[in-house]
Amino acid sequence: MGDAVPQLLVNGIALGSAYALIALGFVLVINAVGAVNFAQGDLVMAGGFVAVILGELLTPHLGDATAATGPLTLLLTMLVMAAMGLLFSLLAYVPLRKKPPVSVFISTIALGLILQHAANAGFGPEPRTGPALLQADGLQLGPVLISMQQIAVIGAAGLLIGATGLLLTRTQLGRRLRAAAQDPEIAEAVGINGATCIAVTFALAVALAGAAGMLLSNQFFVAPGDGGLFMLKAYIAVTLGGWGRLDGAALAALLIGVFEVLMAAYVSYVAAEALLYAGVLAVLLVRPSGLLGETIQRRT
Amino acid sequence: MFAGRSLWLMAGLLVLPVAGAIALGGYEQRIMTLAGIYAIAVLGYQLIFGRLGALSLAQGCFFGLGAYVTGLAGVHLDWGFPASFLASLAVPALLAALVAIPVLRLESHYFALATLGISQVALLIGVNWTEVTGGANGLYGVPEIRFPGLSLISSEALLVTVWSVLAAALVVFGALTRGRKTHRLTLLREAPEAAAATGIDIGANRLVLFVASAAFGGAAGALQAHSIGVVSPAVLEFQVMVTILAMTVIGGRGHPAGAILGAILLAHLPEWFRFLESHYLIAYGAALLVAVIAMPEGLTGWLDRWLKEPAPPAPTGSDPHPSRHTRSGIELSLRNLTKSYGGVTAVDGVSLNVAAGEIVGLIGPNGSGKSTLINIASGLQSPENGSVHFGSSEITRSRPHERALAGLARTFQTPPAVPSLAPMAFVLAACPAGMDDGQAEALACGCLERAGLTALPQATGAALSPAQRRGLDLARALASRPSVLLLDEPAAGLTPDERTGLATCLKSLASEGLGLLIVDHSMDFLLPLTDRVVCLATGKVVAEGTPEEVSRDPAAIAAYFGSGDS
Amino acid sequence: MTGPVLSLETVSVERGGARVVSALSMAIHGGEVVTVLGSNGAGKSSLLRAIIGLGNTSAGRIRFAGEDLTGARPRERAARGIGYCPEGRRLFPGLTVEENLAVVFEGATRARKERITEMFDRFPALAAKRGARAWSLSGGQQQLLAIARAIMNTPRLVLLDEPTLGLAPMVIDEVLDAVRSIAASGAGVLLAEQNVVPALRVADRLLILSRGAVVHDGPATALAPERIAALMLAGTEGPSV
Repeated sequence: MGDAVPQLLVNGIALGSAYALIALGFVLVINAVGAVNFAQGDLVMAGGFVAVILGELLTPHLGDATAATGPLTLLLTMLVMAAMGLLFSLLAYVPLRKKPPVSVFISTIALGLILQHAANAGFGPEPRTGPALLQADGLQLGPVLISMQQIAVIGAAGLLIGATGLLLTRTQLGRRLRAAAQDPEIAEAVGINGATCIAVTFALAVALAGAAGMLLSNQFFVAPGDGGLFMLKAYIAVTLGGWGRLDGAALAALLIGVFEVLMAAYVSYVAAEALLYAGVLAVLLVRPSGLLGETIQRRT
Repeated sequence: MFAGRSLWLMAGLLVLPVAGAIALGGYEQRIMTLAGIYAIAVLGYQLIFGRLGALSLAQGCFFGLGAYVTGLAGVHLDWGFPASFLASLAVPALLAALVAIPVLRLESHYFALATLGISQVALLIGVNWTEVTGGANGLYGVPEIRFPGLSLISSEALLVTVWSVLAAALVVFGALTRGRKTHRLTLLREAPEAAAATGIDIGANRLVLFVASAAFGGAAGALQAHSIGVVSPAVLEFQVMVTILAMTVIGGRGHPAGAILGAILLAHLPEWFRFLESHYLIAYGAALLVAVIAMPEGLTGWLDRWLKEPAPPAPTGSDPHPSRHTRSGIELSLRNLTKSYGGVTAVDGVSLNVAAGEIVGLIGPNGSGKSTLINIASGLQSPENGSVHFGSSEITRSRPHERALAGLARTFQTPPAVPSLAPMAFVLAACPAGMDDGQAEALACGCLERAGLTALPQATGAALSPAQRRGLDLARALASRPSVLLLDEPAAGLTPDERTGLATCLKSLASEGLGLLIVDHSMDFLLPLTDRVVCLATGKVVAEGTPEEVSRDPAAIAAYFGSGDS
Repeated sequence: MTGPVLSLETVSVERGGARVVSALSMAIHGGEVVTVLGSNGAGKSSLLRAIIGLGNTSAGRIRFAGEDLTGARPRERAARGIGYCPEGRRLFPGLTVEENLAVVFEGATRARKERITEMFDRFPALAAKRGARAWSLSGGQQQLLAIARAIMNTPRLVLLDEPTLGLAPMVIDEVLDAVRSIAASGAGVLLAEQNVVPALRVADRLLILSRGAVVHDGPATALAPERIAALMLAGTEGPSV
């Protein structure tokens, strides 16, 4: 069994880094509009199906063997999903921006339901295999063979998390997104366009969900009913990582992925799930404002 | 409970669907049975989501739990209907009571996650504890509803039974939200601090409603199990929760009629959207989205105007002296209080007494600790040092509602705004719970009269002027029949005439034995009103005496210099 | 400079349904510091918020450099040249000192970097903390940063809401120096204060506000500080001066 440990770790990190993308988008929206996006998981699922379609469209032209097919599919998936994010904010957020956050919570539940069952109607309930990011043989490390696809997933997710970090900290747009999220009223009073910031945030958050959807769709397949669990993982990651903290949520999501894979391998998947929920309930029992405390001054 | 038009509406909503379904027969009967079952769960969800405003995601779990209890009791234990039904109510209620203490204090987004987590654990158990639950296959052969000596196998009998349980649920719902309880719950939801300051025990109210909502969910699940004869993990899936949520939002979360309307409407939706086949949940999602955007009050929001009863004539025997029943002679005594935030000492060793019938002014510049002191006295904040005494008892650690019940009331710098409560209802919410309705109405009228609001007991909260809102807050505080009243900037935003009126009112209250502590930031209001003025600066008492003395006191004037060279 | 940079014509402001400023008229010229004094609740913050567009102006007209601001969004007002330093500083807590300055700047990257360098030259205390998150700064540093943020785009009018509140005397001096230098550079300054002595040290003109109405308007030197404090404490429209 020891031989499997490196591959399990890689699997766990690959799963966790995809979770981290989901959680990142989840927190971005929480910070920007103060509401939970309950459809984040369904948007991940939608991203998976977009990747399936794009893969089917692109492969005949570019061929499986072309190294560019996977990354190009990922890029296009994110673009399509960013547009879906804008549409999503127009339906779920803009009409309710003056209402209490619970209204947005409910509207995202509604949109998640629509996404899930539209996918069900369009693709059927059976899981589909998404396009691979990379076509390559496994990497032989001594006696252990490690899947290159998983390494590519980790690399792509790491790249996207890094790029999001750079966008938020190194660009004027990113600074404005963070400023508008931290104090919308004052941001507006010092010249920042809050409505644009929120639209961009939704586009970015949904693009990240879409990227995660594609990255997960090859190894774990994609089915219309997958969304709920992804959303729950993101929700738990945000609670454990400190409400509103991007770094905390991404790290917690990564750990959840690793924990899930290792527990599933050595005990059972059900035990992994049950312990995760029991864990978050225990955390809320002891710390009603989350593990790292709700940062009074919200930070990014 | 229900009276007038509401009673007719509810009676119609109970009888017509059943009669219609029996007349149409077959398929329609099955749909109406389902609608009745869900209406019970939705009614329960209205208690937690509608009345308390808490987005619980566990109502589907309580539903599923009720179904499993009925399934297990019927299949494995061979219990009869009354016993298995009661168990199906009791088990979810017990679970709710167990998780209530940690869960009900959570903030909204954590509350939603915690209730969702509980539901997920229940689903995992339902799927995986195969020996007991039958796993993914579930439990087959749940018996029909049988009363001793009476078997209800026909679909008509099931329909009537379900809707009879719904009628019983409406009676319980009515008892839980009857009369002034509704007003109290609205105040609790919209303005929890004011509710606590009025003597309403927030924790106890939330617990009761959460447990009741779970029992309603369990009842619905039990009937569902009898109705289809099978219990599978599907009853624990999130889809049930979404269905209940959609019915609640679409029907309207504020009125029990919404539960029935929402359930009937959504139960028929799959039939109307037949072309979507098994994907009718798309229609649920779309209907939920449209409802939350276009009709946030749901279907019953449209009925509200019609349901508003014509105003009852103002009771004649109004009690002009609401304070006369109070235990006068109780003195509030703050002793050596200290409170700091993040290194800044907001209140620094302040002692202050308010005797019965005395009017004490509390003055000081911004940040001098006035509001903190009032908050400590009323229990919204706790001091690091020092103690609060009320009469012969120490109340330093008492909760806000306990202080209010003991006779220590307060008003707020920003008067609580509850647009959905008419002024009369707002004040009725504050009247002691034990009072009978007639007495409470007389008391509320008396309090409104004292606050100068006799002309508008029927106006809604939204249409009030700032002065009227302050008056209403004062009436609310008086309705709890205090012996000491703390007023936080009662004159802010008032015109000179309104201030004069307020001063007259406060003077007459004091002459009846009420002790008053009035916070203000300048002397013009306090000068003619108070017996004694205390001036705070940076958390300390810097001057104390008659208003004339304080307004000439160099230390008081210096406090208004601010930090600089002073 | 010809006309006033800001003129208010019988402006009334409502907040939460209450009229907190009633029929207030005043004007500020470039290079002038006008101080609005008043105790808590007198309407100072509401007045400043109404000028930047965050409050409800229920009546009257606000003109900025001759243009009517009615209906303009806060960010449009900021873009026209109004800098705002809100009550309680309201920095972006998770952004660094440098980011708090950069985020409001309108213009090219190079110009932005130059302007930030200028700010750091002007406020050396901030330069030393350039990489620190705003929430970690001391009260005085936060205040200086909030002022620096307000003047990043070289506004023609700067609104400062209680910048000395809760600061130590030495830090107050630093803040007041900054206020003076803003006016010296030609911008008009509207300073809301409840601390009499520091306010008087920089004011060219003094308005005393009580319950939303002006109870005194005149040159800063016309009243003795004790008289002003007594006016504020009493809150009445004492004998006019």
